[in-house]
Amino acid sequence: MSGAPSPAVYPLLLWPQAASQAAVHVDWLIFAFTAVTLLLTVPIFLAITYFALMYRSGRQVDRGHTSDRNVKIELSWMLIPFFLTLAFFAWGAQIFDVEKHAPANALEIQAIGRQWMWKFQHPGGQAEINDLHVPTGQPVLINMISQDVIHSLYLPAFRVQMETLPGRYTQLWFKAERPGQYRLYCSEYCGTDHSVMDGLLYVMSPSDYARWLSQAGSSQSLAALGKRLFSNYGCSGCHGAGATIRAPDLAGLYNRPVPIDGGGSVIADDTYIRDKILNPDNNLIAGYKQVMPSFKGVIPEDELMQLIAYIKTMETSS
Amino acid sequence: MAEPVGIMLAEHFSTVTQQRQAAKLGLWAWLITELLLFAGLFLCALIIRIQHPASVTLAATHLKFWIGAANTAVLICSSFTMSGAIVLSRIGWRAGMLRFMLATAALGTLFLLLKGFEYYQDYVEHMVPFLSGPYVLAHDQASRLFVDVYFITTALHGVHLITGVSILLVLTWQASRPHFLTRHQNRIEVYGLYWHFIDLIWMIVFPVLYVLNR
Amino acid sequence: MSPSDAVMRDPGTPQATMGRPSDYLHAQHTLRSWFFTTDHKRIALLYLASITVFFVFGAIAAGLIRLCLVVPNGQIFTNDTYNKIFTMHGVIMVWFFLIPSIPSTFGNFLLPLMIGAKDVAFPRLNLLSWYVFMTGALFTMATLVIGGVDTGWTFYAPFSTTYSNTYVIPALLGVIVVGFSSILTGLNFVVTVHMMRCPGMTWFRMPIFIWTLYATSLIFLLGTPVITLALILLVMERAFHIGVFDPRLGGDPVLFEHLFWFYSHPAVYIMVLPGMGVITELVAAFAQKRVFGYRFVAYASIGLASITFLVWGHHMFVNGQSQLASTVFSFLSFAVAVPSAVKVYNWTATIHKGNIRLDTPMLYAMGYIGLFVLGGLTGLFLATLAVDAHLHDTYFVVAHFHYIMVGGTMLAFLGGLHYWWPKFTGRMYPEAFGRVGAFLIFVGFNVTFFPQFILGYLGMPRRYHDYPPEFQLLNILSSAGSTILAVGYFFPMIYLTWSLWFGKRAPANPWQARGLEWTTSSPPPPHNFAVTPRVDFDPYDYAIKAREVG
Repeated sequence: MSGAPSPAVYPLLLWPQAASQAAVHVDWLIFAFTAVTLLLTVPIFLAITYFALMYRSGRQVDRGHTSDRNVKIELSWMLIPFFLTLAFFAWGAQIFDVEKHAPANALEIQAIGRQWMWKFQHPGGQAEINDLHVPTGQPVLINMISQDVIHSLYLPAFRVQMETLPGRYTQLWFKAERPGQYRLYCSEYCGTDHSVMDGLLYVMSPSDYARWLSQAGSSQSLAALGKRLFSNYGCSGCHGAGATIRAPDLAGLYNRPVPIDGGGSVIADDTYIRDKILNPDNNLIAGYKQVMPSFKGVIPEDELMQLIAYIKTMETSS
Repeated sequence: MAEPVGIMLAEHFSTVTQQRQAAKLGLWAWLITELLLFAGLFLCALIIRIQHPASVTLAATHLKFWIGAANTAVLICSSFTMSGAIVLSRIGWRAGMLRFMLATAALGTLFLLLKGFEYYQDYVEHMVPFLSGPYVLAHDQASRLFVDVYFITTALHGVHLITGVSILLVLTWQASRPHFLTRHQNRIEVYGLYWHFIDLIWMIVFPVLYVLNR
Repeated sequence: MSPSDAVMRDPGTPQATMGRPSDYLHAQHTLRSWFFTTDHKRIALLYLASITVFFVFGAIAAGLIRLCLVVPNGQIFTNDTYNKIFTMHGVIMVWFFLIPSIPSTFGNFLLPLMIGAKDVAFPRLNLLSWYVFMTGALFTMATLVIGGVDTGWTFYAPFSTTYSNTYVIPALLGVIVVGFSSILTGLNFVVTVHMMRCPGMTWFRMPIFIWTLYATSLIFLLGTPVITLALILLVMERAFHIGVFDPRLGGDPVLFEHLFWFYSHPAVYIMVLPGMGVITELVAAFAQKRVFGYRFVAYASIGLASITFLVWGHHMFVNGQSQLASTVFSFLSFAVAVPSAVKVYNWTATIHKGNIRLDTPMLYAMGYIGLFVLGGLTGLFLATLAVDAHLHDTYFVVAHFHYIMVGGTMLAFLGGLHYWWPKFTGRMYPEAFGRVGAFLIFVGFNVTFFPQFILGYLGMPRRYHDYPPEFQLLNILSSAGSTILAVGYFFPMIYLTWSLWFGKRAPANPWQARGLEWTTSSPPPPHNFAVTPRVDFDPYDYAIKAREVG
C-alpha cells in the first residue's frame, strides 16, 4: 500500500466513509434495499424452518387440505416482489442519471491509468502520481484514458468508479463535501501490481486546495502547455492563423458537429480530436484533402490531453 | 444393381424411425451451434461496416470479388452433386452414389485451391496486415480490422471445408464396401445436411464480406 | 393400480439372484470396460471422478488465497504468484468444475433413467465428450499448475492478448476444447429428451430436474459457440496479431467484454439451473409431497434460460456503455428475479404440510434455499445502476457469486450426491456423519463469505492481495471461515469413499421417492430397466401413497 495512514488499532468497520452528499444518497438506497431484502427473505427462512419442524415425519399434525397449484398465489408472489424491487431499479437509474451528467461548471482534472500507476493533471498544469487533491464545494469532472490495458478509477468515498479504456476517454464526476483523506483504487484487474495501483484522495477546502495548487507548483496551465506543443509538433504550421496549407480551422471546433466525407457528421469531443491526431485518415472531413500525417506513437497520452485542453480554449479566443 | 437400403438398429433405440430422427435432430442442433459461431463474426463485420463505412468499402474493393463469385458457383454445384448422392443412396444405386460423392469432394477441393490462390494474391498485393511485411492500406487503421475479420471468417470456413472433405472421403471409402447402404444409409443423409450447411455459410460469407461493402 | 405399474414400482429382488450380470458396476471389471464404456452411468462416474480431482485443485488454490489474505501487506506470495493462484482458482472452478458438475454427472446418470430410456441418444458421442473434456481440462490444468497464467478467468483484452507474459494461449486452447465437450453434452441431452422418452412419458410428466437439464442444454448449444469464437479471436490476436480487441491493432477491447459476457452470464445459469432441478427433486422427496405449481416451475426454467441471454450488459455499467443500454440491461436483470422468485416460493409451499424427514440431502436443500435467496437478491443490488457504480469489481461481487455458485450449485451438488448415492453405488452413506458435514459446510460457508459482502461495501476491490490494513479484521474472519468450510468438505469426501466398501447395502428406493430412477434396482442393471417402463401417472405422485394408506 502506498502512503497508508496508520493508526495503531483498526476497529471492525461496517460502514464506509462518505465524502459527498451523493454518496450518502447511495447509502440510503442500499440501506432501503437491504430492508426490503430482509422483508422478502426473512419470512421464507422462518417459514422453511417452521414447516420443517412442524411437519417433520412422525409428528401427528393436520396435513390435509393442501393443493399443489394455485394460480392466484403464484402470480402474486411473482409480481409483488417484482414491482416492489422495480422501485429500486428506478431509484438507482435516477441516481445513475445524475452521475452520468456532470454540471457545466465542473473543474476538469485529467487522469491517465497505466501499469501500475495513476497520473492526474490539474487545469493549472500541476501533476501528481497516485494521489489526488480535490476541493470541496465544486463539481469535479475526471476525464481519463488508459495507456495500456483496461483499468478502473474507483473512489469509494464518492461511491463511484469508471473504467479507463485504451484509445477512448471516459468520465466520472463528483462533488466533494467533507474534507479528509480517503482511498482511491484501481478496481479492474490489470496485471502484476494491480493491488498496489492505489493512492490517497485528499478532499480539501477551496482555500487549502488553492494553497496546495500553488505549492505543487506549475509555471503553466494545461492549455498553455498545449499551446507550446501545438507549435512544437508543427500543428500550427497548417492549423494556425496565416497558414499556407488549407487545413480545417480549429477555433470553436470543440463539441461542434463536423461534416464527414460521404455524408453525416460527428461531434468533435475529446475522443474524436484524439483519434483525429493519431489516425487522421479515419472519418475524412468533407471538403478537405487529407494531407495530415499521423502522430501515432509520437505524442504521449498526457501531451494529447494538453493539446486537447488548448484546442478547447481556442473556442473562446475566436 | 440396386441393393437394399436401411439402417441397423442400435440397441438403445426402440424403432428405426426413432433412430433416424434422433440423428437428424442431433445434426440440426450441431448446425445451430455452428451458425452461432459464424454469427458472431458476421455481427463483427456489420458493426465495423457501420462504424467505418469508408474504410470498409476501401478494403472490400481489394477483395478478389471474382474468385469469391467463382467459389460460390463451385459450392452451389457441390450441393447439387451431394443431393444427387443422397437421392441415389435412397434408391440403393451405390455405384452412382459413390461417383456423386467423389464429385462433391472434388468440388470442395477446387474451392479450397481457389481460396488458397486468393490468399496468395492477397499476400502478393500486401493485403495481409498481420504479417510483418508492408500493408497496402496501412494509412487506414479501421480497414485493418475489416481485413482481419475477413481472414478469420474465411479461414474458419476453410477449416470446416477441410474437415468436410476429409469426412466425405472416409465416408466414400466406407460406402464402397458391400452392405453399407443396408446398414448405414442414414450416414449419407446426415452428412448431406452438414455439407449443405457449409455451403449455406459461404452463401452468407460472400454477400456479407464481398458484395455488401462494394 | 395397473399391473404394469406394479412391475415398475416394485422392482422386487435385486437381479444378482437371477444369475445375470448384476448391475452396471459389476457387469464388467476390466479397465477397458471403464475407459471405453458407452454406458451413460459409467460415463457419469468418469466425470464424477475427474471433476472431483479438479475441485480439489481449485479448492487448494482457494485455500492459498485465503491464507495470503490473512495479512494486509500480501507478503506471503509475490504479486505474480498471487495473480496466478486466483486465476487458477477461477479457471478450474468455473470451467472444469461448476459448468460440467451437475449436468455431466447427475445429468448423464439420471437423464435416461428418469425418462425411462436405455441410454442417451448418442452413447459414443457421450464418451467422446468425456475425452474431449479431459483433453482440454488436463492441458489447461498442466499450464496453470506448471507455467501459470495471470489473466483471471475472465481473460480481459488487451491484457490477455498483449500485456500478459504468461502462458495464455495454451490455457485458452484448453478452455476452447472443453467448450466443445459442453456442446456435445448439450446436443446429446436435447436429442435424448426429445426422442428417447419411454411410452407415456409426456413433457409434463417429466421431473423438474429434466426440465432444468433441458434448459441448461439449450444454453450449452446457444451460448458456448459465442465464447468459443471470442476465445479463438483472443488466440488469433495474441498469436498472430490479427487485431480485433487491442486498440493498437485497430480493435476494441469493449467488444471482448460483450462477447465474453454474452456467454458467461448465461453460463451462470448453466451452473444454477441444474442445481434448482436437483433441489426440486430433494424437496419433493423429503417432504413426500407433489411439487407446488409444477408447470410454473417448469416454465420458469425455460424462462430463465431465455432471459439470461438478454442481460449480459449488466457486467458493463461502468465501462462507458451508453446510459440507455445500461438502463435497459438493469431493467431486464430485475426481470430475471421473477422466475427465480417463483422457484424459491414454490419450494417453500411444497414443504408446507409435507411429511418431512431431515436427512442429509434435505439439510443441503434447506441450506441451498437460504443461500440462493441471499445470492439472488444481492444480485439485484448489483443490477441497480447507482449501487453497481459503487460495488462493481469489489468483494461484494465476489461474495454475491460465491453465494450463487457455492451456496447454490455446490450445495445442490452435494445434496444430490447424497440423495442419489445409493442409486449410483448401491451403498448407503452414514447418516450422522452426513448431517455433521452438511452443518459444517453451511456454517463455514457463511463465515467465509458473509464478511466479504461488508468488505465490498467498504470498498475493497477484488483481486487485491495487498489491501488497506483497516480491512484485516474482516479478512481474518473470512479466512477462519474457510478452514471450517475445508473441514466440512473433507467429511463427505472421506465417508462417501468409505461407504463404497463398507456402507450398508441400499434398497432400490431408500427414500420412498417417486420417479422412474427409483423403480429399478440400486445400482441399476446395464440397460437400466428389466422391462421398458410405461408411464400413466404424473410426476411426484406422492398423493397416491396417501390414498393407499387411507
